[in-house]
Amino acid sequence: MVDQLPNRGLETEMLKEMGFSSIDDLFSDLPEHVRMSEPLPLPPPQSEEEIIADARRLLGANLAMGEAVSFLGAGIYRNYVPASVFQLITRGEFLTSYTPYQPEVSQGMLQAMWEFQTLISELVGLPIANLSLYDGSTAAAEALTCAVRVHTRKATQSNTVYISELVPPDRMSVMHNYCQGAGITLKVLKHNADGTLDIDSVHSAAGSCGVYVEQPNPLGILDGGLTQIKEIIGKNTALIVGVQPVSLGLVEAPGNYGADIIVGEGQPFGSPPTGGGPIYGIFACSKPYLRLMPGRIVGRSIDVDGKEAYCLTLSTREQHIRRHRATSNICTNETLIALMGAMHMSLLGPEGLEHLAYRNMTACVLAKQKLSEINEISVPHISSAHFNEFVIELPRSAADCLKYLDSVGIIGGFDLNRWYEGRNNWLLVSVTDQTKAAEIELLAAHLAVWCSMKEVFA
Amino acid sequence: MVFDEGGVCLSRLFDFAGGTGMGYSQPEPLLSKNKVTLPPNLMRKALPRWPRLSEPEMVRHYTWLSRRNFGIDTGFYPLGSCTMKHNPRVNEVIAQLPGIADIHPHQPEHHLQGLLSIYHEMQHMLAICSGMDDVTLQPVAGAQGEFTAVRCVQEYFRKRGETQRTKVIVPDSAHGTNPASAAMAGYDIVEIPSLENGRIDLEALKAVVDDTVALMMITNPNTLGLFETDVPEASDIVHAAGGQMYYDGANFNAILGRTSPGLMGFDAVHFNLHKTFSQPHGGGGPGSGPIGVKSHLAEFLPSPVVKKRPIVGDEAKFAVDDMWYTWYEPEHTIGKVQQWHGNAGAIIRCWAYYRRYGYGLKDMSEHAVLNANYLRHALHREAKKADVSHMFVDGAEAEVAKHEFTISLQPAKEAVGVSAMDVAKGLLDMGYMAPTVYFPLVVPECMMFEPTETESRDTLDTFAKDFAQVLKVDPQTLHEAPITTPVRRVDEVYAARNLCLKHPFDEE
Ligand SMILES: Cc1ncc(COP(=O)(O)O)c(C=O)c1O
Repeated sequence: MVDQLPNRGLETEMLKEMGFSSIDDLFSDLPEHVRMSEPLPLPPPQSEEEIIADARRLLGANLAMGEAVSFLGAGIYRNYVPASVFQLITRGEFLTSYTPYQPEVSQGMLQAMWEFQTLISELVGLPIANLSLYDGSTAAAEALTCAVRVHTRKATQSNTVYISELVPPDRMSVMHNYCQGAGITLKVLKHNADGTLDIDSVHSAAGSCGVYVEQPNPLGILDGGLTQIKEIIGKNTALIVGVQPVSLGLVEAPGNYGADIIVGEGQPFGSPPTGGGPIYGIFACSKPYLRLMPGRIVGRSIDVDGKEAYCLTLSTREQHIRRHRATSNICTNETLIALMGAMHMSLLGPEGLEHLAYRNMTACVLAKQKLSEINEISVPHISSAHFNEFVIELPRSAADCLKYLDSVGIIGGFDLNRWYEGRNNWLLVSVTDQTKAAEIELLAAHLAVWCSMKEVFA
Repeated sequence: MVFDEGGVCLSRLFDFAGGTGMGYSQPEPLLSKNKVTLPPNLMRKALPRWPRLSEPEMVRHYTWLSRRNFGIDTGFYPLGSCTMKHNPRVNEVIAQLPGIADIHPHQPEHHLQGLLSIYHEMQHMLAICSGMDDVTLQPVAGAQGEFTAVRCVQEYFRKRGETQRTKVIVPDSAHGTNPASAAMAGYDIVEIPSLENGRIDLEALKAVVDDTVALMMITNPNTLGLFETDVPEASDIVHAAGGQMYYDGANFNAILGRTSPGLMGFDAVHFNLHKTFSQPHGGGGPGSGPIGVKSHLAEFLPSPVVKKRPIVGDEAKFAVDDMWYTWYEPEHTIGKVQQWHGNAGAIIRCWAYYRRYGYGLKDMSEHAVLNANYLRHALHREAKKADVSHMFVDGAEAEVAKHEFTISLQPAKEAVGVSAMDVAKGLLDMGYMAPTVYFPLVVPECMMFEPTETESRDTLDTFAKDFAQVLKVDPQTLHEAPITTPVRRVDEVYAARNLCLKHPFDEE
């Protein structure tokens, strides 16, 4: 019996008061031939106890990364999220509220999102941030369409944007889906053998609407060359940079080297990996993009008594007002997860952020050093600085290596053949603040064992 | 400490910018910091001006903020079109289990059999409830579901060579995301007027349907909470011209187990899982917006979807039953609309919610409709008793409403100058969340109520009495409302003219 219906048992009385005799009367407006004649062919209702037991059994069959030793990243990272974040987010006033349409009783969420905008703006070095898009990929895709809206009229390469060829195919696919309707052409920017962006190829992007690059790039490389792009493309082409936000504790904010729009996966701040969602997309920009940007924005205002108060603002960009001329179709976003991000960021503070970035980076330095000591393994981009991850080149296929590592309880990383054709032997190894020195030793030892095997493992 | 005019203490995060707090202490890095080298031009020169709070200060700040916010847990939240039902707490507990919180979307299938089996179960259940053949769980909100379905339809026509189909028909009473999603996919929008009660105008539809139409998008029950009885006819008209029919399922709470988009002749539908299946809305998100499609559209669905087959060999070690659950790429997939596997954490919560009901999902929608009709009845009853029944009329003539209904406060506006917004603000003072106001646009001075199935009759009766009391308040006082809330009416024009989108720091 379903236990969520307070009026169970009162149906007849309530119907009678309205002058009806049965529930069917309330559905009398359904044409006969569209009515469902049979009960739903679904199992019976369960009690809370049964559901939680089933959930434990089924979800227990998944291998949580914490039960293994994991070096898997490639866009979603396992960072520590402080306990108070999880405790505070369960407060029903946050959890069970909706979009703050009535600002007088939504000041808490509105102020928290205004503070989130400030935290992100400070982090990336741009004056404006919205209060989240769905994820990093949709944020990147919306940045492209935004850049086209702003620049296409003056562009010599109208309706065209340039994207780093390293951007993973899944993210590219999202960009394609979001851009194809506006007839936007996506062109690629080449990379050098050392994994850095081919700066000469950036010249071809001058006169287009935008350039999209990532820092660190999808191979984990921190590319100093990206700081030259803005000078090459000029002010009529948007520089869009995708970031891993934790890295910005050490790495220059792209806003300070000419980025016009900055996007990224906010997930490492505030959210566990959660199978890839719900997480939140960061979107920040400079003033010329403000009125054509996607997503909700909170502004500080005053109430009728002149008291400090917050409300949604610039909504004339949005679908509920502008309908098919809106800058985006987004309505429901990821506010609650962004709030978790804000909580995490405010606990860190500036020095805590820097320390966290150091922890992530030193783990990377250590792992790179240990793995490069294995004779059969090379680190193709060894001279670059890396954040969170780097490539190792194996003597045989990465897929086989991952199977072996899995058999000894290690999630070894990401097989780059899934992104880049022909990179069969490239493994993307990811470390975070959660990686222990002993785990790196363990990975190195098992990689050495696998390398010394004479034939395929699986 | 900062105090406002009334002496109320304000907590502002950036007042802590000059603080000394360190919210949580971290372990030392694995190597000394000087082992880190960066290209000199990439060294960050100045840290962000983030606040410095200790944990107790941070906890108090966010607790203070939460007390200035209204949620379903705080009180009755009859926000129409948003389905603000109770969020069972067991779902939150389940979503924190490491088997969902600590898994990575790129883990191999044998690490994720539990997740994949739950995805499969959800796809199956949603297919049954919607009368569709295939389902994807990838879209992360209703609007993204719409966009995904429009893209599938677009590729379907491209594959058939019907590229002259450049239009999507949307009634003027549709939610804004419908035209926005179709436009994002590159379609021209043809808006058709609705009849007085928000229903589809079949004549207007006939006038615009031809072989340039790709799709018609319909919300049913419509945004006035009325069942669109002419939907099967509309569907015939569009299909006869070779177009497709899309069902905006935001209002599924009204029809589950009673009818389905499949029975009504639709080709594609989205669910707002966060509404119908109770993922908490969290101040505006997250959500989850799966879509269901008929078999002719299935090959275009985003990748991957989950399929199952009997287990072989040593798969039994990892399996949750005698089936193997596997990611599958539809043959002509549109690719991805979100980079990962949708909002897995939301889908788990909605799965737990579904398990609570099973075949009893029908009871859920019956109670949602019962409560909406009862509240409509009670509002009139109490208004009569309090002698304010001349202040409003039904937004649409109908014997029964579905899960929500509208009223028009136009009479109040004309008689005493009280607007729907005034009444909404008056309700805030009574401790309620206001219903949706000024949507749909086709009803003047509109107020839209959706009580949901999880409110008791007592709550509905009390609310109806209080609503009548608000209408009795003298107009001048109501213009001043709210007075008991953390702030009073917020100046939205001021916010737009004096843009302040972040803390101004030294400029202040
Ligand atoms: C009728 C209708 N359609 C579509 C949507 C969009 O859904 P979402 O907010 O999940 O993107 C909503 C809700 O906001 C709605 O009420």
